[in-house]
Amino acid sequence: MSPFSEVELITRRELRRTFRSAKGGILAGLSVAGGTGVSMLIAWLDRLQAEKVPVELQAQARDQFFQGLYGDTGHAIAASPYPLWMMLEGALWLAPLLVALMNFDAVSGELSHRSVRFWTVRVRRSSYILGKYLAGWLSVLAVLLTMNVIVWGVTLVVGHFDAGAVFTWGPRYFLVLLPVTAAWCGIATLVGAQFKTPMLSLLAIFAAFFGLWFLRVVAGFSNIDALAYAYPNFYDSYLLSTNAVQLTAGIGATLGIALVATAAGTVLFQRRDI
Amino acid sequence: MVVATEPAVRIKGLTKRFGMKTAVDGVSFEIAPGEVFGLIGPNGAGKTTTFSLLAGYLKPSEGTVEVLGHPPTAVDALRARLGVLPQDALLPASDTVGEFLVHMARLQDIPKSKAEGAARDALDEVNGREWWSQRCGSLSHGMAKRVALAQAFLGDPEVVLLDEPTAGLDPRVAWEVRRIILARKGRLAIVISSHNLQELEEVCDAAAILDRGKLVAHASMAELTASNEEVHVKVAPGTRAGAKPGQVQVQAIRELPHVKTAHLDEDALELVVSFKKGETDAEAVIGQVLQLLLTHQVRISGVAKGQALETKVMALT
Repeated sequence: MSPFSEVELITRRELRRTFRSAKGGILAGLSVAGGTGVSMLIAWLDRLQAEKVPVELQAQARDQFFQGLYGDTGHAIAASPYPLWMMLEGALWLAPLLVALMNFDAVSGELSHRSVRFWTVRVRRSSYILGKYLAGWLSVLAVLLTMNVIVWGVTLVVGHFDAGAVFTWGPRYFLVLLPVTAAWCGIATLVGAQFKTPMLSLLAIFAAFFGLWFLRVVAGFSNIDALAYAYPNFYDSYLLSTNAVQLTAGIGATLGIALVATAAGTVLFQRRDI
Repeated sequence: MVVATEPAVRIKGLTKRFGMKTAVDGVSFEIAPGEVFGLIGPNGAGKTTTFSLLAGYLKPSEGTVEVLGHPPTAVDALRARLGVLPQDALLPASDTVGEFLVHMARLQDIPKSKAEGAARDALDEVNGREWWSQRCGSLSHGMAKRVALAQAFLGDPEVVLLDEPTAGLDPRVAWEVRRIILARKGRLAIVISSHNLQELEEVCDAAAILDRGKLVAHASMAELTASNEEVHVKVAPGTRAGAKPGQVQVQAIRELPHVKTAHLDEDALELVVSFKKGETDAEAVIGQVLQLLLTHQVRISGVAKGQALETKVMALT
């Protein structure tokens, strides 16, 4: 059996387990309901603002705001539906939390109950970890995609944007989440697989994520960008960039973090006693 | 019938340390194809560690483990050839029994079209047909143990490792588990780690006895229990050695053909007769000894070939 088939079987089973579990259902429900509520509020405020503030002033203010955030790319983003951008920012902040909560017990839960022993005599340990990683990533993406689709719908109905803008910018913003969540999931898999107790695994993942965020903050104050290179959300502006080099760098960096973290997790898992 | 000449399992100089503690210390033995082999020892003897090293759960600190000529972590080479029943591993609670077994079958490279059939057959063998749609989390201890046993025997592997296969089971289920093991005897190598010496004596062809991480004995069950060189006769309370009716004529027994020694332990009320291995068998000696005892009106409580495995283990550990 090829490693690909092993990974596929592990991934399928893990996805089924995640979405069948109460934890998966509750998290998906909360994320979707929260996303819907917040997007409705943003769309409503945006429409209110559109009614009260002259259109030219709004455009000018947004242009300045987004150019301050994204440089040259800001001009294009200023033209996008504002609720969708807010959705992206919210999802980027929510992603680490969602990744941690959906993945913390994927490996540690099976280590604590020793169920992992049923698998390791049948699949390569690398396939086991990769399958868990892929299932974790796809679960998070499924929740985020559902949330995004609802927000696109709400933006269309409650907001004042045309369908073309919503269905161009919506998927584009969602695509930004793909490599970023891939990186967060890689880090969560690396850290989470080191612990036999799910609660310790969750705390360690939170600690690792907080540590990366803290480095990002220090990088902001000290102007030492290198400190933020391991923080996946650091690359959101790269991933939104219209500059091909920047975009490629953003994709490369986030997928690089995912690759290095998952590979390290695999190597450590192969060497450990279970 | 297994005809391979290579050992099914080969352990050489196996050592496992956890920090400063040495759990398994330079253990070496081989298990032949088709042999049912027991891992015996008191708590802390290192049998679970040895079992975990055999299954590839733990990495040896020193020495080598080979299952069918491969390290146990060579999953691709051993896929579907090695089955394991881990003692304390919980089945995945949210999976149904059917989903779990089909998933395990698929991971053993059984084609999708045949995986369900193989899984149902394995479940049938442990008398669990009606549990197919039940969630693993809702199974009783005995049911879960039998489902775990079904996954270990799934797809007819060549080597099966069973860690405490009857621990915590009621006598009937334990009997069924032994029946499942005995039904496979001779077809595949089975390694059983257990505290239940009576059970091991019943099902095993050979065993290794471990104590404080070291191998203290490794032999066939016949050698360990001396069943091919000793018979034990239990006599009624009050029986003494002597020449009167109702007394054991020890000297007359010593003079029987092929008998080497005879001794009556009056405290244990047990007559131990050793004979020349290879010249005769235990059944012939039992016949001669009983005939003589009955002729002298000795009341007999029981007869056994060799000593109980328990006696041997107690003496060694």
